Amino acid sequence: MSLPSVLTKFSVLQEGAPLDGASLQGIPREGVVLIDPPLSGETNMAIDEALLRDATPESPVVLRVYRWEQPTLSLGHFQSWDDCRAVPGLSDLPWVRRKTGGGAIVHDQEITYSILIPETRNKSSKGHSELLYRAIHGSAVENLQRLGWDAKLSETCTCSTATNQKEEPFLCFSRRSPVDLIIGTDKIMGSAQRRTSAGLLQHGSLLIRHSPTTPELIGLSELITQFPSKLVQEGFRDDSVGSYNKDMREKGLHDALMERGCEKVVATAPFDQTAWVNFLILVLKKGLSQIVNCRWQDRNLDEHSVFM
Amino acid sequence: MSILPEELRYLESHEWVSVSNETPGIATVGISAFAVAELTDLVFMALPKVGQSVSAGHEFGEVESVKAVSPMYSPVSGTVVEIHSELVNNLESLSVDPYDGGWIMKVQMSDPSELARLLDWTSYKHQCDNA
Repeated sequence: MSLPSVLTKFSVLQEGAPLDGASLQGIPREGVVLIDPPLSGETNMAIDEALLRDATPESPVVLRVYRWEQPTLSLGHFQSWDDCRAVPGLSDLPWVRRKTGGGAIVHDQEITYSILIPETRNKSSKGHSELLYRAIHGSAVENLQRLGWDAKLSETCTCSTATNQKEEPFLCFSRRSPVDLIIGTDKIMGSAQRRTSAGLLQHGSLLIRHSPTTPELIGLSELITQFPSKLVQEGFRDDSVGSYNKDMREKGLHDALMERGCEKVVATAPFDQTAWVNFLILVLKKGLSQIVNCRWQDRNLDEHSVFM
Repeated sequence: MSILPEELRYLESHEWVSVSNETPGIATVGISAFAVAELTDLVFMALPKVGQSVSAGHEFGEVESVKAVSPMYSPVSGTVVEIHSELVNNLESLSVDPYDGGWIMKVQMSDPSELARLLDWTSYKHQCDNA
């Protein structure tokens, strides 16, 4: 298995076994999961670019899950940095440009993923871009629903065309495409792609909680009020600010819930970054299994996941 | 003159090339109807610059659709002598007319023999039918 050398410097590498059965495309694929510590924007983008640039037909499918060492703005490939001046607070952030398309993301209270599917010699793995979006986001919908969130695909669109692209919101999470993951009216997960002759790179972001930089956006933590448990709802409904709760910001979900006498904390894990990383890897693997048949060897991850 | 898809040569990556009898050293390049249909709603296209060198099989521009950025590869080598700059503001027209009105660039070919290595319509259509 060949991997870009840049990966070994930063990544925890978990190698997958070669497939012993036929894949969905008839092409046996190896798979690796990379879990990175928080890195700079430049480094995060350099790793993903290297994955795609150096991909060969023999390269493994890669799932990479990572965070950012400081709040960083990433622009979609064709976006103009000048446009971020229209959104207060964004122009002060360090920024990078993604190789993938779509809108800008503030990488603060979110978890980022990348998927690399190298081209094979026998058959293109490209297909329609929406297939992979639906596979990944559909998997996230299913797993979030299992946890109690009323997640679904948006099936609505603010999509721009070449003639009205300036009218679309600057931020990815303010846009809607039919395959975006939403809870209520809030977008929680979005993805974008880059395709070359070497393979397909998909970026995506799962919004965990509110960031002060983007006050108009809320994440899974704030949407905890949708849980069916009455106790949880009472514990986290702050009528003065709607779905956002001051206690939760300052004390964390678990402590705030226990102080309010909750008998059963159904959602402690969702506010732990490590747990969310594990959750996201689970989602990605399940979604990707609809496109490419990889068998992953990171069993410890699943056994320790609070979501299983 | 009308460009017919049956008379074009293609790259496997869905770029077409046309050479007219009037200007035999100039190749007109675009992307096929199949590619436009696969990409769906196009929102951005980055074109090369006039005077820029392009190489057969190498990237000359980019296109974004449904948040997916894809490269466009040149079927021939040479120098860009004209670009269809109006196209970037009218990408919807590609779904109606990816050939005549949808041309992207014209290239002064440095090696016209490269044309012989490209797919003809029958081979290209077979590739698309089995995609």
